[in-house]
Parts: sequence; C-alpha cells; structure tokens
Amino acid sequence: MTMNNNSTASRKSGIGGILIEGLRKVYGHGETAVEALKHVNMQVSPGEVVGLVGPSGSGKSTLLKCLGAIIEPTSGRMTLGDEVIYDNRWLTTDLRALRRDRIGFVFQAPYLIPFLDVTDNVALLPMLASVPNAQARARALELLGALDVAHRAKAQPSQLSGGEQQRVSIARALANKPPVILADEPTAPLDSERALAVMRILNQMAQQSQTAIIVVTHDEKIIPTFKRIYHIRDGQTVEEAGAGFSLEPRLG
Amino acid sequence: MINLAARDILHGWGKFALTGLGLGLLIGVTLTMAGVYRGMVDDARALLGNSGADLWVVQQDTQGPYAEASSLKDDAVHGLRGMPGVARAANVTYFTMQVRRELAGSHEAANDVRAMVVGIEPGAPGEPGYLVAGRQITRGHYEAVADVRTGFALGERIQIRRHHYIVVGLTQRMVSSGGDPMVFVPLKDAQEAQFLKDNDAIENDRARLAANPAFNRAGTPGLLAAVQALQSSSRNVNAVLVQLQPGWSAEEVAEPIRRWKHLEVYSRAGMEEILVAKLIATSARQIGMFLAILAVVSAAIVAFIIYTMTMGKIREIAVLKLIGTRNRTIAAMILQQALGLGLIGFLVGKISATVWAPIFPKFVLLLTQDAVTGLIATLLICALASTLAIRAALKVDPGEAIG
Amino acid sequence: MKTNPLWTRRIGLALLAFALLAAMAFVLTSTGPLAPTRITVIKVATARLQPSIFGIGAVEAQRSTLIGPTQAGRVLSVMVDVGELVQAGQLLAEMDPVDLDQRLVALNASIARAYSGEVSARALLADATARQRLAAVNAKRNQALADQKLIGAATMEARQQEKLSADAAVQAAQANLRGQGQERARLVAEQQALAKQRANVQLYASAPGVVVAREAEPGSTVVAGQAVLRLVDPTSLWVKVRVDQGRSAGLAIGLPAQIVLRSRPAAPVLGRVARVELLADSVTEERIAEVAFDTMPLDVAIGELAEVTLALPQTPEALLLPNAAVQHWQGVTGVWRLRNGRPEFAAVLLGARSLDGQVQALEGLEAGDTVVVYSAKALSPGARVSVVNALVKAPANGTAQ
Repeated sequence: MTMNNNSTASRKSGIGGILIEGLRKVYGHGETAVEALKHVNMQVSPGEVVGLVGPSGSGKSTLLKCLGAIIEPTSGRMTLGDEVIYDNRWLTTDLRALRRDRIGFVFQAPYLIPFLDVTDNVALLPMLASVPNAQARARALELLGALDVAHRAKAQPSQLSGGEQQRVSIARALANKPPVILADEPTAPLDSERALAVMRILNQMAQQSQTAIIVVTHDEKIIPTFKRIYHIRDGQTVEEAGAGFSLEPRLG
Repeated sequence: MINLAARDILHGWGKFALTGLGLGLLIGVTLTMAGVYRGMVDDARALLGNSGADLWVVQQDTQGPYAEASSLKDDAVHGLRGMPGVARAANVTYFTMQVRRELAGSHEAANDVRAMVVGIEPGAPGEPGYLVAGRQITRGHYEAVADVRTGFALGERIQIRRHHYIVVGLTQRMVSSGGDPMVFVPLKDAQEAQFLKDNDAIENDRARLAANPAFNRAGTPGLLAAVQALQSSSRNVNAVLVQLQPGWSAEEVAEPIRRWKHLEVYSRAGMEEILVAKLIATSARQIGMFLAILAVVSAAIVAFIIYTMTMGKIREIAVLKLIGTRNRTIAAMILQQALGLGLIGFLVGKISATVWAPIFPKFVLLLTQDAVTGLIATLLICALASTLAIRAALKVDPGEAIG
Repeated sequence: MKTNPLWTRRIGLALLAFALLAAMAFVLTSTGPLAPTRITVIKVATARLQPSIFGIGAVEAQRSTLIGPTQAGRVLSVMVDVGELVQAGQLLAEMDPVDLDQRLVALNASIARAYSGEVSARALLADATARQRLAAVNAKRNQALADQKLIGAATMEARQQEKLSADAAVQAAQANLRGQGQERARLVAEQQALAKQRANVQLYASAPGVVVAREAEPGSTVVAGQAVLRLVDPTSLWVKVRVDQGRSAGLAIGLPAQIVLRSRPAAPVLGRVARVELLADSVTEERIAEVAFDTMPLDVAIGELAEVTLALPQTPEALLLPNAAVQHWQGVTGVWRLRNGRPEFAAVLLGARSLDGQVQALEGLEAGDTVVVYSAKALSPGARVSVVNALVKAPANGTAQ
C-alpha cells in the first residue's frame, strides 16, 4: 500500500491524512522540458504537523500546487483521507470542490476577503459548500472561539491586527473540516514569539480536528518545532526527524 | 450563500457611488444630447402644430415661409377664402429680429431678445392656440403676446422697431424652427416692422426720389408725395395660413390653389419634410454623430471602469478561486457589480438630465422611449464590458495566492 | 461592539438608495407623457360687458387751404411766414406779373385809339348824313323839275342815284360808328380781363388761419396748382382715426372717445366722434372716423400719431369668458369644459368682445361651468390634467391688463 524510499514504512495513511507516492511533474516538453518534481513521496497522518523545507527552485511551490490540486502532476499517486484523488490523472472532475471541501489553505499573508466581515470570511467556505447561512456562521463562530478571536467576529478584516488576521485565516482553512491543510510560509513575516504562537495554534487545531497539516517553510525560528520534516531538493524529498521542540508550556 | 457583489459594493460604497455618479453624469450628457436632437425636431413640429394651419400658401417656387423668404400680396387671402374646402384663411408674417425690453424708469434699452415676430390677425389662424397667462390680442395695434422664453412679463413694454407694445399674454412652447421664441403682434404692425425701414433710411430714400426727375415733375405736384407714400407703405405678407373644412383633404384643396392662383401650397406633411428633412438635417446629423461618439466613449469608459474595478480585486479573486469558489460565482459577482453600476449610473443620468434640461436655451425633449433605450443600452454595455473583466478574472491563476 | 457603524452605514445607504428611487419616481411622474397637464380654470358667470373700439390715427386739420397761383409763374414776394396768423382777405404772396402791366398799358392805348376811332367814325357819319341831306334835297328838287319837264331824265336819274349813294354812305358810316363802339367795348372788356388776371397774381387768404408751410420762395417758379403757402384753421384740428372693419361694430357719431397722443401718452384727452366716413378703405380694410377734441389741447402738432379708444354702451348681462379660454379644435370654435375632472370640448357661440379680453358666450355654456383658461400644453378630450393656481408666476410689480 505505501511505497516510499524511507524507513518509516510502517506508517499507513489510514483514515484521514495525506499520502503522496511517486509524484512527478514535468513542465513543457521536448527540448525545453523541465522536471520540477522527480519522485516525491510524502505521508502525513491526521493530527500531524510536518514541515516541508527546501531552497527556492527546489520544487517546493510546484509540490504545493500539486498537493493543493491547483496544477496537474505528470504522474504519481495522491491519496487524501481514504480517497485516491490522483492516480496518473485526476480521479475527480471537480477540482474546485476538492479544494473547497478537502483542502485548507493558509497563506503567507492572511488574504482575508476585505469586503466580508470576519465571521463571513470564515463562513464563506461552508456557504460555498451549500451549507445554510445560519449553520455556516455558527460553525464559523465556533472556530473563531477556538482560535480566541470570537470577540472580533463582527469586525472588518482591516480592523484586526496581523496576528488576529492570521488566526482568522486559519479558522477559514478549517471551516469545511478538510482532512489536510497546506500552510505556505505562515510565519515568514512574524517575529519568533508570534511565529511560535502560530505554530502552537496549528498544532492545537491539528490535534483537535485531526487534520494533517503540511507547513512549507524556511523559517529557522519554527523548524525546530516540527517532529518530522521533509526536505526537498531538486525535485526529491527526503524525510527526516525534526527536533520536535515542545510548544507545551502554552498548551492546555 | 451571501451575495459577494452586494458585500463588495457595501464595503466600498463610497467609491462605487462616486463611480456611479460619474458614469451617471456621462449618461446624463448622452441622454441630454439625444434630447437636444429630439428638441430640434419637436421645435419644428411645434411650430407647425401651434400655427393651427392645415395648409401653408406661399410665394410660387419658394419653400417658405420658414425655410426660405416668401412674399405675397396681402389681398391674395380674399381669393383663397372663397376656394372650396377652405374654412378659414389668414395672412401671417414672420420675421426674426431683436426685440428690446424697456426698463421701468429708464429709456435706455436694457437688453435685446432675439425673437421671431409673428404678425397675426386676432381670432384668425396663426394666433397662439393656448395661453399660459394674460389674454389674446384685442386691439388692432400695439399689443403683443410673447412666449415665456423671451423672459417678458405681463404688462411689460417692449419695443419693436419704432413702436412700443404692451405684453398682454404669455404662451409656452411657441418657438421658431431655430428655437427663437415668438412674439405675436397685430399683422399691420408686423408688416410695418418687417418692410419699413428706420428713419435714416427713409430720409435717404425720400431724398433719392426727390432727386429723380422722373418722379419729381414740376407739372404734377402730387406725384412725388404719392411715390414717397408708396415707398413707406407695405402690402406684403409672408404666407397665408389655411384651415380646411372637415372632410376635405389637403391635396384636394391645395391643387386648385397651385394651379389657378399661381402660388405654392404645402400641407402639414410637406412642411414637416421641409423643416425636418431640409432645415434641420445638417444640425441633426451633427448631433447624431456627436451622440454616436459619445455613446462609444461612454461604453469605453464603462468598460474601463469595470475592468479597473475587477483588476483591483485580483488578489481576492485568486484567493477565492483557490479556496474553491466556482468560476460561475466569481463571474456573477463581476456581472452584478457592472449591472448595478449601470443601473445607478442610469438613474443618476436620467435624473440629472431631467434637472438640467430646462436650463438649456433651446428646448430639450427627453422622451421616455429614449430613456428606455438608454437603460437597455447602458445595461448591455455594462454586461459586455464586464465580459472583458470576467475573462481576465477567470484567467487568474489560483496559484498566484501561493507565492 | 463594532456593530453600530455598520448598521448606521447600512441605514445611510438604504436612505440614499431610497432617495435615488424617489427622485426617479418623481422624474417619471412629473415630466414625460405620464405627467398630467397643468391648467388653470375659471367658473363662468354673467356680467355686463363694456365693449370699446380701438383705432389709431393722426391729428389733422378739418380745413386746410393751399394758396397758389392759377397759372405757371414766378413768385415775386411772400409776405407771411410759417406760424403767422392771417386774417381773411390778407395779402399773403404775390406772383410776378411779368408783362401783365405792360399789356394793360397797351390795352389802354388801344382803348384810347378805339375812342379816337369812334370820334372819327362819328365825324364820318355826320359828313355822310350831310351829303345825304343834300342828295335828298337835290333829288326832290330834280324830281319837281322833272315833273315840270324842265330837266332831262338822265339828270334826274343821276340825282336819284346820288341820293341812294348818300343813303348808303350814311348807313356805312353808321355801321362804322357802331363797329368802333363795339371795338371799344371789346377792348374795355379785355382790359377788365387783364385787370382780373393782374389781381390773380396776388394771393389772398380766403379764411383766417395759421400758415403751416411756406413752399416757394420769391424767385422760384411754380406751376398752376402748386402751393406757395398752406394755411390751416387752428381751431379745426381733429383726429382722423382708422378702425379695423372687423372690429368696428357700433361705430357712430357721438361716441365718447379717449385720445392718447403720442407726445403725452400718460395724459389722455377726451373727445367725441364727429364724423364717420361713408367711404372706407378696402385695401387696408379699415373704416375712417374723425374724432373731435372736447377741449383743444395746447401744443399739438398736425400729423401727430394718436391712439383712440371709443366707448360703446354696456351690453346686457350675459355669460362672460376670458378670451384666452376660446380655442379652435377641429374647425369648431369653443372652450374646454371640465367634466368629471377631464376636459371636453364645448362649441360656443361668441358675442361682443371688450378690449380687456372678455367675450360673451351666447350659446353652449351654462353659468357655473368650469372652463379651462390657461394650459401648459395643447389639450385633447379626456387628457389628464391637474388644476393649479397660476402657470406663470406673476411679476412682483407687474401691471397686467
């Protein structure tokens, strides 16, 4: 079932989580073909937060875009939860629905929709999934509460501080209860205290909702907090154990 | 599902409203331009309609009396009255000239108003059909009925050539085909005003006659005086207005007049053709071209505005697409915003056009059908313009959100 | 919480949108084809009408005289100038008699010669009479002798013949005398004629008056009929008024008149119609009347323009309409009457009119009918209308008629 060139063969994807096997992406063809991803294997279990680290040009963004169902890989296999979503071709026709329901995104900057208030920013995703407005807003408030920004529920995004906005964007990512969240440099503009706070929240939410979180980063401040890290270089990933610094003191 | 377009508008309502206002003024200008054209045509129709005539009898081989100078003897009307099918006939003169108003307490001419002085016989065709104040002319001399556009008030004294007239009545919408307001005076006074010259010219003519031995004969003492009197009298009019008896058609009555009286006759349709097709044709084309250019410019500006509005939201659109918003939803948002902008613009435009139309010196006619056409055109243009923006939005790569 | 600004913003925007829609609704209903036509109305009532006749004219002199020669000639002298008062029979001017005086002298000489001729003829007659007496005596004597056969027949015939000749000579001399007498009479008559002509050269005033024009100076040549001076009787000034034939009903002698002279428009003068001319002007379609001043105003000039209003007697009571309400529709004269708030056209027979715009409605209306006076647009039957007080704001200090 799992095919990776790593030692942790015993780990299965099981229910939830994400499994990437032999992912390959080639841009262009013929003479000008560029092999951005050669042979990528990744596995993240539900509730786990792993880091994806690599220099620019290593294929990091390409991998993220494949994971986010934004671009189509050339070959390989991707399994989300217990559903194979890609096996040398997309197995689902509606990629948008896939992104909406099964993948959460956290960006470098919060990227909240400026003309929606905080609650609606989060509730937007369930509404897009045809959840009735009241229910969607209720769920949004719940998430906001969990992230300790419920008191800003009626505010406009521009009125929030950077940290609060980031927390709202995390709430948004969780709104449709996706099995996986892709976080792209979420801590890059932050100082170490805030960066660790974000990581704390991510870990917390991962645990609470049993979501697999992949954090693409090169921020030295948070790399030590990962228990597992995937290094990517020249289109290939190498798994290694991370330092796994505890974020405990603030938990609970 | 919440309406993204509505939320976006609510959030940036100031910018939206201002854009709508600007667009509205542009649309208002376009509507007004159409109104100017309609007003010109309506001026011509009003001129014909308000004269109350079914036939215009003018000098042979002319297209008068509005498009061309026409001069008839004023006794031609007697013969016309007797023709079959003629219910009423009356002489009229038309002459565009400056009319002076007198300021109370001063004999200096305050200002001149350019007006068409119409000589009418009270109670006969040519008299204004309806008044908005005062009364019709009752005396045979020195009374006037003026259109409100002249700015004259009831009881005001005005001066035409060498005589003073009291304004006894006011009319509305009595204008010449060129948009000059009309002043109605008794026919004899108008004949004198049109054909009689000023004092210096009269003196000059008298001297010239006296120097001419053919007229200044010693043997016939009264000859010079008689000829001089002839020079300073006028027996000409510009046209005869004819009203038909019920049951008679215009051509039935016009044909014998043309044939036996050697005069030219035009029916209402013929006059309308002359006025609308010939007299105002060039101006109409001028305005039509301007209108077309204005419409194209408006469309371009609308497209540009909507495109810019959309481009300003590129990041949000990328994020929306990334988090799973359907293309359909995004397109609907842009389209709804464009249509909303168009609707606000149209409302503002129609209201402002209505507000400033009366201020124009010439009549501006805003027809409902033009407004409806304008609304449809505005919405169409907005929809089309939004397609440009929608295409750009849909092409956005969701991966833009991910650096 | 932050809800308040959001809600105030929402309410503000809602109000703005509402205002925009309300403005649009207002625009749609107050302009364009949906809008009702504004009109003013009046309830017709009976009253008396004060009609009048209006005409314009010029001040003229009833009597004016042209003083001029009856023959072409040269003006010798003019004794009076413009503005002078002259008496009847006053010598005003004289023409050059040219040769009239000389011809008179010649005639006198001819008369003298005729007189002498007469004397000579008388003498001749006396002579012939004497011869005749002698011849008669001789003839008688010879006859007696012939009876006594003392002389021959020839002699007696000769004497008879002498007697006859002498008789004839007497007759001839008598005729000659008569002829000379007739010649003398003729020459005397000629002399009288020439004297009259000589007198004609002098121009006298036929009636008292004022000289208003001096048209020839001494030395200028004038033809027969040309005026040298024009005289006018200053007490005979009146206004010659021209009245439109169509509006001259009731024009009669004795109507009181108000005359507004051009030189003094603020001070009308009273007068009376003195004469209505039988001959009207068919070219200008006017009747002509002369209006005399009640008291002659000072400082009025002949030829000065005047406006004359003649007052006609009041009419009996009848329904009156303002003439602005009278309209023509589809060949019928009438008014728009309001029935159930909508206008309908009612044909009306009109009667007398007054100069201030009232006209009698003889048939077609009843007292209390509501009639449209002013309208902002041309009306049609059943059109939507809204009644207002006035369509045009009256000027603050206007003097409406």
